[in-house]
Formats: sequence, structure tokens, C-alpha cells
Amino acid sequence: MKFGMMFKDVSGALFKKPFTENYPAEPTETPDRLRGSLVWDPDSCTGCGLCARDCPAMAIEIEVIDKKAKHYQMTYHIDRCTFCGQCVESCNQGSLVMEGGEWELASLSREPFTEVGERPPLVVEETE
Amino acid sequence: MQPQKTEQFTVPIGPQHPALKEPSSFLISVDGEVVTNAIVRLGYAHRGIEKATESRTYVQNLYLLERICGICSHIHGTAFAMGVERLAGVEVPPRAQAIRLIIAELERIHSHMLWLGVGAHQGGFDALFMFSWRDRETVMDLLESISGNRVNYSANVLGGVKFDLTAAHIGDILKALDYLEERTHHYLKVVTTDASFLQRTRGIGTMTRHQAEVLGAIGPTARASGVLRDVRIEAPYGAYVDHPVTTITDDRGDLEARFAVRIKELFESYRLIREVLDDLPPGDIKTRVKRKIPEGEAAFRVEAPRGELFYFIKSDGTDIPSRVKVRTPTICNMTSVVKLAVGHQLADVPMILAGIDPCFSCNDRMVRVNRNNGSDGWTWEQLRQHGIEYYKQRSQDYDPLVVG
Ligand code: SF4
Ligand code: SF4
Repeated sequence: MKFGMMFKDVSGALFKKPFTENYPAEPTETPDRLRGSLVWDPDSCTGCGLCARDCPAMAIEIEVIDKKAKHYQMTYHIDRCTFCGQCVESCNQGSLVMEGGEWELASLSREPFTEVGERPPLVVEETE
Repeated sequence: MQPQKTEQFTVPIGPQHPALKEPSSFLISVDGEVVTNAIVRLGYAHRGIEKATESRTYVQNLYLLERICGICSHIHGTAFAMGVERLAGVEVPPRAQAIRLIIAELERIHSHMLWLGVGAHQGGFDALFMFSWRDRETVMDLLESISGNRVNYSANVLGGVKFDLTAAHIGDILKALDYLEERTHHYLKVVTTDASFLQRTRGIGTMTRHQAEVLGAIGPTARASGVLRDVRIEAPYGAYVDHPVTTITDDRGDLEARFAVRIKELFESYRLIREVLDDLPPGDIKTRVKRKIPEGEAAFRVEAPRGELFYFIKSDGTDIPSRVKVRTPTICNMTSVVKLAVGHQLADVPMILAGIDPCFSCNDRMVRVNRNNGSDGWTWEQLRQHGIEYYKQRSQDYDPLVVG
């Protein structure tokens, strides 16, 4: 039986830098895979709506404005998103990514939390 | 002068902040400093998750159930996913099973290290608490770099896992394990030799083997009383079939044994992760699972960091389960706290409680009492009205609030 078994750790720590990070005064490094806010690529999206159907937090709405013209609108409620990554998993077109590096999402108002993206209608040029 | 009458005095502890950061209530009767009786009241954190699963698809439920516990989220997802996969009759690729095992063991490491800190803090040994939590960050960083999330890693999908391990990840894991192993040796020495800490743990809260069996203790709490109960051994699942675990038991049954067992389990987790990484099977990491799950029932057991976790899933052939039942480990160990506290000093109660590594929010379940008078319980609306009235009486008017 001994006393002060942690003494060395404690006294040693006196001469070391703090282990904690000084965030947000100093930026923090994040891993490449860190899941941040969703990035939607309108060009590859087919408007299938699988992402919206599987989302456990009902954070995605996909609206088909004109199916023929491939005109879709996507609404992403970031404030509801739990960053689970299921939508990325469900999308078989690879239109969604979460590793965009956008994760500092605090805000004082609710407004900036709903993003609306729209795929413009395809313009079919007529040839004569 | 009249002789003083020995009176029983009841100390209410909780429901706010009883010893840990979760709500539960303990009524401890004392005679002087000695505990003569203990009553536990749970249910302050009931969230209705089991009911909520009945209105979500299997895919959505995976994430809901993962949120039953913030510390052992992966094991909840795994138990549910494996149960559903069994119902669907799909075979998960070996690489996915290996990755599930690695994440589960990393989770066990961070859970046990978290507990080591909490246990030490309850015993007044804050140096150990600070340093063990510092070292726990190593695992948290690993999990974050592998999965992209620090908690609720959501590694599982139905039919496999979401992400693969790269060579860089494997290198990082092995390096981190070497560091942690060295630190764990140190912590084991601290909790088994530091005289001041041993006064708080040696011979305190002793549960005999017989008591552990009768009280239905599970997990490390039971193993510290010499009862070999570990689902990874009794009914190996996933990659544990090919990578057997050696169970750590201790016959002493006191708090010191619980510290020793959990710390020694860390070594076993390090060994297991190294073994699996050493021969990580190549191939796919997921397979397709149809949205509609065939009709049937499945029960699945896994070993969570705190003990056996049980899932029952009933499917009626649609993409929404008709019943999901979850039994988390803490509820099985709770009775032991009530029994063991009797005869100890009041100051030992928080330590005895922390000794089972409780997780209150996980274990709150609703019990429906069937009364003979034919009443059918309360509807959702009645319950809500009752809530509004209840708070009105306490001069907080929630009526104008619109829920939804
Ligand atoms: S990450 Fe999860 S919660 Fe967020 S939008 Fe995708 S599926 Fe929904
Ligand atoms: S799942 Fe992919 S392709 Fe389908 S609507 Fe969503 S983003 Fe578009």
C-alpha cells in the first residue's frame, strides 16, 4: 500500500501545456471525415426522394416541380439534422456529401438554418 | 432527562443530480451514519422510445435507438441491426462484422475509462478522474476520425457498416492502443495500491457470488463477484465467433474488484482489436437489405460495456416494426445497489451506486398496470392535459404552447 500514486502525473502536468484546446480563440483541427452540414449537388440528383424518406429527423424535403424538365427543389433544415449520414448512404446518385468542412453552425437566429437548393429546369435546345 | 430514542431518518437523494448527471431518486434510511434501508425510484427520464419506434421505418429506427444511450450508442445500433438482419435473412460481409467489433471494443474502452473517472470522482480522487478522462480523449479522437462523429458514430446501416478502415486509421488505432495500454497499467496499479483510495473501495459494497446470481447482476458488476456472465462468450455474435474473448472475473466482489475487472477488461479489448486488425477480412462492407422486413420475431443479445443488452423485434411484414423491446443492463444491476448499500456508511452510497456504472436514461421503461376496474389507462391527450394542469398548479402555464 502506498500513498500519492498519482503524484507524479499531477506534478508533471504543472510543467506541461494545458491538454485542452483554446477553442474558439484558436481554430481546431478536424478529421477529414467529420460530418458537417449537407452539400447537395443538384446536377446529379434525380429527385427520387429516398434521402427524405430515410432521414430519421425529417430534415430533408425534396419537391419535384417538373419531372419532365428535371426541375427539383431541395429544402434542408440544418437545425433538425442529427448528422447521422443516412441520407448520404441512401442516395445512389452520390448527390449528397457531408464532409464539406462546414460544422461551425451556431447562430443567434433560426433563419439561416433552412437552406433551399433548386435544380433549374433543363433547357432543351431545339434543333432544326 | 429522557434517554434519546433511536429514530430512523430518511435522506432523500435526487431526483436532481443524485450522484451522477442523470435523474433518479434514492430514499436512504439511516441510523446515525449507517444505512438501514434504501429505496430507489426510477422513471424520471422516460422518453417513450419503444413506442416511438412503432411509427418509424427500420432505417429511421436505427438512429433513434442509437440515441437510447450516448455512451454505448454503437452497441444499441448493432443489436437492432443484427436483429433486423436476422429477420431479413441476410448475411453481413465479414469485413463489416470485423469493423462492428472494432468500433464496439473502442466504445467499451471509452465507456470503461469514463467510468473509471466517474468512480474515482465519487471516491474523491479527482486526480485519477482528470487523467483518465484526458486519456479517454485518445479513443474519442479515434472514433471521430474513423466515423466523423464523436458520439453517436452511426457506424451501422442495415446490412453492414457505413465506412471502411483505411491503412492510416489502422496505424492510428495501433499507436493509440500502445499509449493506452501503458496508461492502463498505471491506472491498474493506482486503484490496487493507493492506500487512500483503497480505503474507499476495499471491502465496500461486497456482493457475494450467490448474491450476484440471485439479484440477477450482469456485466462487469457480476464478473467482479465471480459470476461468468458475458454474452460475447455465452452466445458469440458477429465477429466474436472467430475472435473469442477471455473473460476477466474476480472473486472478491467489492468495489476494488469492480475497478480491477473493468480495467483488466481494457487489456482484453486492446488485445482483441489488435487481433482483428491483424487479419481484417477483405471485401465489401455492406449488403442490401430490403425495406420490407419479412414477418417474424427476433430476439438479439449483445454485450454492452455495462452488461447484457437485449433487443426484441417483431415485424408484421411492412417497413415499420410492430414492436421493439429493449432491456438495458442498468435495470438488472439496480437491485444490487439497494441491497448492498444497507449496513454501509451513507458516504459510501454514491460509490456503491457508481460501482454498477449506472445509466438512468437508458433503463427507464413504462409499466402498464392492468386494473380490474376496466379502465384502459390514459390517452395521449389526457396525459397532456394532466401535465398542463399539474404545472398550472405550480403557476407555470404551458397551455398556450403549441406542441409539434
Ligand atoms: S444526416 Fe441524417 S438527419 Fe441529417 S439530413 Fe441526412 S439523414 Fe437527415
Ligand atoms: S436520394 Fe439523392 S438522387 Fe434521390 S432525391 Fe435525394 S439527393 Fe436526389
